[in-house]
Amino acid sequence: MNHAGRLTSTAAALVLLVAMAPVARADNTQGITASSIKIGNLGPFSGESAVFNPLNYGPEAYLRYINDQGGINGRKFETIFADDACNEAKGIAAAKKLIYEDKVFMIIGHPCSGVAMAIKPMVDKEGVPWVGLSANPKITNPVTPSMFHVGYTGIASGEAMAGFALSNPGVKKIALVQHSNDWAHGYCEPATAIIKKNGGEVVVDAALERGSTDATAQALQVKASGAQAVMGCLYQPELVVLLRDLHKFGVNVPVLGALGADFEQTVAQVNDADAVKQIFFQPYQFKSPLGQGSLKQFHDMFLKYLTKDELPKSGEPTNFYYFGVPAAIVTVEAIKRAGPDLTREKWIAAMESLNKWDTGVFADTETITHDNHDGVHLMYAVGVSAEGKETVYKSWGKPAE
Amino acid sequence: MLSFLPQLVVSGIATGMLYALMALSMTVGYRATTVVNFGHGDMLMIGAYASYVLVAGIGLPFGPAIVLAAALLFLLGAAAQRLLMQPIIGGPHLSLAMMALAVGYALRGVARIEWGNDVLKLPRAYSSGVFVLGPVVVTTDDLVISGVVLVLLAALFLVFNVTAVGKVIQAVFQTQRGAALVGINVKAFHATMWGAGAALGAIGGVLMALIVPLTPDIGVATLVRGFAAMTLGGFGSLQGAVIGGLLLGIMEKVLGFYVSTVFIDITAYLVTILVLLIRPKGLFGQHATLRI
Repeated sequence: MNHAGRLTSTAAALVLLVAMAPVARADNTQGITASSIKIGNLGPFSGESAVFNPLNYGPEAYLRYINDQGGINGRKFETIFADDACNEAKGIAAAKKLIYEDKVFMIIGHPCSGVAMAIKPMVDKEGVPWVGLSANPKITNPVTPSMFHVGYTGIASGEAMAGFALSNPGVKKIALVQHSNDWAHGYCEPATAIIKKNGGEVVVDAALERGSTDATAQALQVKASGAQAVMGCLYQPELVVLLRDLHKFGVNVPVLGALGADFEQTVAQVNDADAVKQIFFQPYQFKSPLGQGSLKQFHDMFLKYLTKDELPKSGEPTNFYYFGVPAAIVTVEAIKRAGPDLTREKWIAAMESLNKWDTGVFADTETITHDNHDGVHLMYAVGVSAEGKETVYKSWGKPAE
Repeated sequence: MLSFLPQLVVSGIATGMLYALMALSMTVGYRATTVVNFGHGDMLMIGAYASYVLVAGIGLPFGPAIVLAAALLFLLGAAAQRLLMQPIIGGPHLSLAMMALAVGYALRGVARIEWGNDVLKLPRAYSSGVFVLGPVVVTTDDLVISGVVLVLLAALFLVFNVTAVGKVIQAVFQTQRGAALVGINVKAFHATMWGAGAALGAIGGVLMALIVPLTPDIGVATLVRGFAAMTLGGFGSLQGAVIGGLLLGIMEKVLGFYVSTVFIDITAYLVTILVLLIRPKGLFGQHATLRI
């Protein structure tokens, strides 16, 4: 073979090798041994968003409970916590560590939408299973093969907020008060779509930024507009400020809060029954009141399996613990269904086999298919009744039970 | 829509009182050292948490808890100045600014370790109430905050303008070397004044925690407002700090309502930019060397 022929052959061989090389992905049994499954639990364990880490501890309590029961198919869960501080750069570094250094089988928890969107290309490329609780619907729409929303997205919550407000007869004029960030828009945009679809009108769209101590301008804009309900796409401290100032200026219309606030804490911190009674409502994700009915077993589980530092100062698990736990419940169910020879492909197939499957926590059942990775949609609303009692409603004036 | 103007002005004054207290407490430290404490917002936050621990944790009555929290913050502020700022006081301005920022971030980090998972509420020592005065609504909180700030302002005016301490403050502000030559212990004086500023900040933190839930970031936004109020009123001027704070509060409300709520968050930055460009000494500022 002459020189040109050798060159051509070498080039052809290289092309063939490149074409035949497997896509650079992590091993589909990475993180699995005969006795353990390594899980990455990614979330804000530091920084100003650390208030959301009960969404990480809720699932962890369930995994510890399962370990206590002997694990699944002889394997116990080994959790590696990673802190993203709800910051994209830190989140990418933390996810890289989990995937490439710790070599976890999958990632669960993960409340922060911005970080979830930032790590999505890496998670997708490596085919790492991800079961998250972040609100941004774009994480799983369009479908990313290994990523699953088992909690409510902003779309479901935003639609529930607007749907509940509009179920009050005669309500058409709605005000939006929101943070200027993706998280808030993730709630208020779907709410706006539902308002317009049902013949309603957005009469005010006001910003209330993080760290605000006062909402006078926003409350007076709502008052001047004659709005009949308010969508408060706000985190808890600012939602408290808005509720207080609306009441101060006599704007006693229903206020629908997003899921960035804990209902009980918000009511307690407004510290004025008249400012919340039949005024403040929030989409409600659960079958029962917190710690009662079917949620009692999870209340006890949190207290048994979480440390003092992992629980709130009060010692009483809040909404976010319950909201987080289905991430682990669904993950475990899919691992059971995947059988003893667990692989990522089998786990994904098992997830896509969930059909009206009841977590025992959420108001809705989980239905996941190959074309739909958002498990739950139906929500109720929780509010304080005229008698001052926390009540779950199916629609305006109609208690769930 | 003009019918809302009186309310916006009154609410602006109530909010501005908090900014004024922030600016006042920063001014006290600045008058002593000509250094702006960019970690002051976190001193405010620690003061609020100290009060929370004393009231909700230990069960002290509200009044003694505030006094004790202010005393603790006095010690913290004095220690921060003496141990961290004083050793580099002759260094580049940037080093001083970075040290102040670093102290603030460190305090916030410590607060997050202990309270980062919780949004807390400082229990009130009085019942909340709403008073309707013609077209204007005011709350008990508005009255308490305004009352406390006015009392502190009056006390500071007396200290600065009537007492011997005020003369010492003025002497050190004008020339530290001259003050040292006449026997004033300038180092101790610096630490004392930073402590006093931190104690005032602690009171500001308590007042803020009465109206908003308590988180480790409670002081961040208010620091920016306090700095803008100082800039507007004039660095080193007590009356300037107060008037700057009140004007800023009113501007936020009026622009926020009539133009766009987006302006509420950026008014402080706009004011800072405009004042530094057009009238760097502010409304009541004196010509002095600013060290940041």
